[in-house]
Amino acid sequence: MAVGRYTSDLELGDVMGPLEYTLSPFVVREYAHSNELHHPFFQGRKDELMMPPTLIHLDKLRLYRHACPMGAGPDARIHYEYDCTMHEAVRVGERVAVSGKVVERFEKRGRMTVVIAMELRAVSDGRLFVSYRDTVLLSYKPKD
Amino acid sequence: MKNQAQQISIGVEFRTPPRPMTRERMRWYVDAQPTIAADDGRIHTQPPTIHDDDDYAESQGLPGIIADGMISTNWIQGLLCDVFGSVIASQSRLRTKYIAPIYEDQIVIAVVRVSSVTASQTGGFLYELDVWCEDDTGKKLTVGNSSVDTSPQSQGVKNSHASA
Repeated sequence: MAVGRYTSDLELGDVMGPLEYTLSPFVVREYAHSNELHHPFFQGRKDELMMPPTLIHLDKLRLYRHACPMGAGPDARIHYEYDCTMHEAVRVGERVAVSGKVVERFEKRGRMTVVIAMELRAVSDGRLFVSYRDTVLLSYKPKD
Repeated sequence: MKNQAQQISIGVEFRTPPRPMTRERMRWYVDAQPTIAADDGRIHTQPPTIHDDDDYAESQGLPGIIADGMISTNWIQGLLCDVFGSVIASQSRLRTKYIAPIYEDQIVIAVVRVSSVTASQTGGFLYELDVWCEDDTGKKLTVGNSSVDTSPQSQGVKNSHASA
């Protein structure tokens, strides 16, 4: 296990979470506002609000903060690929649990790549809301 | 938005108006991260990043700040919501890959194109879509694909601001 320090230390098989939280109206509206998503189901009344699928990206950072509290490591971490499947809408007030596992770590052309598979589930009955696969480059070097 | 009982044909393309990736747009996503983590109704900030600090970006070998890839993903997602409504938040898949950095003030246009459509047994349609962001020269910056199921059981609150 390589959790506990930098995200650049993450190894194949490392598990992060589960972490629980309650989806709030503030989180949905603030995220939507920061991304210019002006749809009523993202920025409307509380009873209309649904989680923007892309908010799962901040759940990855939530897992990172918990599992790798010292940050990215020596080099900036570059997000390379986003892959999110919504199975059911997540409404505000829902108590959810997010977890992640490192499912790939490999080096290609001098760039270390890490793939994390994540799930967001209902705490109440375990039903799956979101599955997400995230790919980052841990040792990004721009082309000359 | 399209009536969700109405089929959108293969090849139909939706595009956002051109938007410059301004310094402020990059910073909004940076500031959103600690603000949402705190979830206390107030704005929070974080240490310098390659998305909001020129010196830090240059220290990482970049010519200047670059946009977080999630911004272009969100602009594609916003266009999908314009077209299909809230079903995007309940029964959809979106995959994006960041193939070129987006620099300050670079123009970005999100595009969604229908690649296949299948009628579902429950009265909706299953769409497969090619999605991307390009600049004002047509250079692709972010590429990917999406699946959207408009079956009635997956529909929630509707929205209305898109046109083909």
